[in-house]
Amino acid sequence: MKDLIRAELVRARASRTVRILVVLAPVTCVLWAVLPVALMGADGPLSVDDRVRNVYAMAQQAYVFTLLLGILGTAGEFRHQTITWRFLVTPDRGRVVNAKLAAYGIVGLVVAAVSAPATLAAGALLLHLGGHPVTAPGVPAVLLGAVLAVTGYGLLGVGLGALIRNQTAAVAVALIWFMYADYLLTMLLPGLGRRLPTGAARALAGMSMENAELLPAWAGGPLFAAYVLAAVLAARLITLRRDVT
Amino acid sequence: MDPWVEIVLPRPDIGGSVHGPVNRARPPRHRRSMSVITVTRLGKSFGRVRAVDDLSFSVEPGAVTAFLGPNGAGKTTTLRMILGLVTPTSGSATVGGRPYRDLTDPLTAVGAVLEAAAFHPGLTARTHLEILRTAAGLAPERVDHVLDQVDLTGAADRRVGGFSLGMRQRLALATALLGDPAVLILDEPANGLDPAGVHWLRGFLRAYALQGRTVLVSTHALAEIRQIADHVIIISGGRMVFTGPLAAGSDLEELYLEVTR
Repeated sequence: MKDLIRAELVRARASRTVRILVVLAPVTCVLWAVLPVALMGADGPLSVDDRVRNVYAMAQQAYVFTLLLGILGTAGEFRHQTITWRFLVTPDRGRVVNAKLAAYGIVGLVVAAVSAPATLAAGALLLHLGGHPVTAPGVPAVLLGAVLAVTGYGLLGVGLGALIRNQTAAVAVALIWFMYADYLLTMLLPGLGRRLPTGAARALAGMSMENAELLPAWAGGPLFAAYVLAAVLAARLITLRRDVT
Repeated sequence: MDPWVEIVLPRPDIGGSVHGPVNRARPPRHRRSMSVITVTRLGKSFGRVRAVDDLSFSVEPGAVTAFLGPNGAGKTTTLRMILGLVTPTSGSATVGGRPYRDLTDPLTAVGAVLEAAAFHPGLTARTHLEILRTAAGLAPERVDHVLDQVDLTGAADRRVGGFSLGMRQRLALATALLGDPAVLILDEPANGLDPAGVHWLRGFLRAYALQGRTVLVSTHALAEIRQIADHVIIISGGRMVFTGPLAAGSDLEELYLEVTR
């Protein structure tokens, strides 16, 4: 198993796309942090502490990059048909996916661990410049939650990539779902929304929403893990068994 | 280095010694039984289409076996079933008595070059090999060794996206050789190779078989395979139509056209 994980990391490190996504993730988090700082003075039911925490919770915006990394790491192998070589080396296809989960968990953790301090530095600077309080209770937990959620999305990407196999379809489905559909459902049906992956990840990241009561952070994590597990199991039962032609 | 020279030298890992002039080396028994491909009543249906139908044959070590048949005869499907990539509808295929999926170190048992072998265009040849070498847990020096074997060392650090068809074919062969396997399975390996490449491949496969290893080649290039094949399997419409040794001086094209008519 160690060899398989190492092989995945060799592949990830050699890819230009991976390098670009890893650099873009913290930059995006920093840009997102501008928004809640600008909204600090706006009317609303959220307390100042909640608003300060939401600035740092932007560390979670790196999720889209780890999600893409996971998808490209699996569906990309089907797209370029390199999966044939992988299955020739490791005929137990479940092990290949497990190695990808471990490897993109590591890659996701690296992305998250770079994005969180970047968001912290930028958020603190912006809050300070705006004359707002720079810290609030629970900020470390928010950052830790964001790191876990961003890492989790990498695993979810691997599961989705293995399940859908078609890279373009997997990227489209993931982006449409996680950037729009999930948010829309959360707005329309908050009771359902908080149980969807995005709601679970937000809870894990300790975000506060104006219009939706999130699950507690301790429940968000296991729920998100359940979604990852469901995607991987579905892939193993449905698509991974198919003929490689 | 000329790969021909390299592979006829004595190699401790195959048991038998090949000294002086090239001759048929009989590998020890255990090695022989490890490298027999056995296909038993193999069948595969895609929907209502019966691509492979009740196919049985065995491929022995120490010889080059040509696997022939018209387009759509089921050759590629059969090879992919032997390699565990396609699940048979009926029957079985084994290498050394075990299904491919049960082999502990598949890359050291079987090397495969599949038709239109694919690579990630953004990765270099070396990285491609390094990923698979790492996954298979093989020694690091194997990468340089196989690059040298297929004469691709000069292009090792170029992205595969810029490779010609012939270079991709060489890289596919290098990948197959990573584990120094006892069995080589090749689907149209001469596709895209220039005349010098074809000449080189012929010598390479011949020498590989002379070391007592198993070589199974699917091809349409009858004149080429005629020169190196010891044994012929011809299928048509998913069924066996001919199997037997290729006698010296016999006309393979005539035989092929006769049995696939």
